[in-house]
Amino acid sequence: MTCSAVDTGELTRARRQVFLALFIAVAVTLHLFETLLPTPVPWLRLGLANIMTLVALYLYDGRGAWTVSLARVGIGSILLGRLFSPGFWLALAGAIVATSAMIILYRVAGRRLSPIGISAVGAAGHALGQILAARLLVIQHEAIWQILPLFLFFTVFSGILTGWLAAGLLEQLKQHPAFQLTPGVQERLCK
Amino acid sequence: MPWNRPLIIGLLVVLLALTWWRLQPEDEEIRRSQLMMGTVVEIMAGGQGFDKLDAAVDAAFAEMARLDKLLSSHNPDSDVSRLSQSDHGGDVAAATAEVIALGLEVAQRSDGAFDLTLGRLKSLWGFDQETPTVPNRDALATALAGIGPEALSLEGQQVNKRAPQLQVDLGGIAKGYAVDRAIAVLKQYGVTSAAVNAGGDMYLLGQRSRRAKHPERFWRIGLQHPRQKDAVLETVQVRDRAVVTSGDYERFFEQDGIRYHHIFDPQSGLPARGCQSVTIIADSVALGDALATAVFVLGPQAGLLLLTQYPQAEGLIVATDGSLHTSPGWAAYQVTP
Amino acid sequence: MKTPWHFMTAGDWLVVLFLLTAALAGIAWVAAAPEGTRVVVTSGEQTLFIAPLDQPRSVDLDGPLGQTHLVIDEQGVRITRSPCPRKICISMGTARHRGDLLACVPNRILVHIDSSAEEAPYDLLSR
Repeated sequence: MTCSAVDTGELTRARRQVFLALFIAVAVTLHLFETLLPTPVPWLRLGLANIMTLVALYLYDGRGAWTVSLARVGIGSILLGRLFSPGFWLALAGAIVATSAMIILYRVAGRRLSPIGISAVGAAGHALGQILAARLLVIQHEAIWQILPLFLFFTVFSGILTGWLAAGLLEQLKQHPAFQLTPGVQERLCK
Repeated sequence: MPWNRPLIIGLLVVLLALTWWRLQPEDEEIRRSQLMMGTVVEIMAGGQGFDKLDAAVDAAFAEMARLDKLLSSHNPDSDVSRLSQSDHGGDVAAATAEVIALGLEVAQRSDGAFDLTLGRLKSLWGFDQETPTVPNRDALATALAGIGPEALSLEGQQVNKRAPQLQVDLGGIAKGYAVDRAIAVLKQYGVTSAAVNAGGDMYLLGQRSRRAKHPERFWRIGLQHPRQKDAVLETVQVRDRAVVTSGDYERFFEQDGIRYHHIFDPQSGLPARGCQSVTIIADSVALGDALATAVFVLGPQAGLLLLTQYPQAEGLIVATDGSLHTSPGWAAYQVTP
Repeated sequence: MKTPWHFMTAGDWLVVLFLLTAALAGIAWVAAAPEGTRVVVTSGEQTLFIAPLDQPRSVDLDGPLGQTHLVIDEQGVRITRSPCPRKICISMGTARHRGDLLACVPNRILVHIDSSAEEAPYDLLSR
């Protein structure tokens, strides 16, 4: 690690940008990987990409989580060739509701919830957002709300799964020097 | 956090708006029916506040009962009965005068196809009795003597009869007028969505209110198919309009293979033969009633011609051969299939 | 790797329990809906097809992509063939309860169940 004349604030920002870009890349990959997986029911997805949103939320902040989730939807849709299609708007709405729910809960609950609890709520928010968008854009019929409970039921488990993976990953990452260094520590190291 | 604050605030606003939209209380809808004016009168009112709606519907029924007393030929004390019994006419209530004024106007414009003085003809045919029969020619001629658009005249609330034997029959138009007044009462109570239906003569106020899983929308009215009992000829959508249908299938009997129904041509005294049914959409039920009868008697061509004099009314005519004829503005009410 | 239980706090359990309860209550509520009597098929604002649920039949419905094949039998109504790419509508299974919904979004076909008493094609009959 070099320190020399680089401003530490600048260094932190650059480091953050590089890692967020990496998280986005991983999230997009997970997202694409998931669409290739066979599922018992086509519209059920695990939401593995949410792992990276959670990681960004825990390692950085809400803004980092927003960056990862929105970029993941955008880039994923471009790669799948469905940018601005109904599926895109559904995914975007799901991501927006999920990310808002997770950030708000994270701020309110803090350490009282692990990534698993946050992730479960995020997954439920994702389902809610998708159905909301579908109700407004695709199926203009109130009957669509009837599938929400079934969605919710599955999202509890997929949320626990992704939250668990995120928690494990976070444990590993936090031991890594790259994420242990707060600016103060850096200054001391650079002396 | 240069840009995520406005985003989060925006999201919260959207979320709040959606929650408000979801939580907007569902409207109540009450539906009550009573037997009056020889038919089933049903009132539906929708909106917020059950008690208010209930009181409004009570008042509307009360108003209709009051008018029924005034305008029914079955009530010996009614204005209509007193007029029929008197030699030269007399004073009537303001409501009665209003109905007669409207009836006379349509009678004149339709050259007597609509007539307020068919009381004797109707009792001769006896559609109100158990076994109606076809009267003989002489009896018909006697019953028709003196009728016509000039048989009655109105000065203020004073009705003058041209001949003492004339029997006033406000028939369907009184029913329509009562529906109009019931709607006026509902409006006074602040009701914005209601339907008053007196045996198929109806007025639709405002839009159909919000109910479970359904947004507010125009009223949809099915029009009875004149020859297939359980079929609908067409569906129309309206708001703040009267829908009235006159059909030869409503009351009829058959004798020697000929169908005799209850809508008479005042010229011959026989059932009018030009139409199977006529539906009028107009701004008042009383006008719709009068026009439906007049157009039915006139037949498709002359009937449509009469409707051109009434820009506030549109009509659908099913001719005797089953063909459909509509006035130019009718299409605006049609529900596109 | 550690089990999920290792990470989960009391708050997590509370959240999971709450979500599960909500989901199960919702499922129970939907399943308890009375059986419908009518199949209504719409495409956008248009009603394509209305049929009683108790008469077995099959019908082809035209959408922008082609024909979606619908079967009504004792079990209810289901989509058996559809030109859409992911066949989500087919995997939605059978609809029988009032308010149930089958949707083929790509082919813009929406099938839902209602009771004719509740939603006739018109509010009142003029006769």
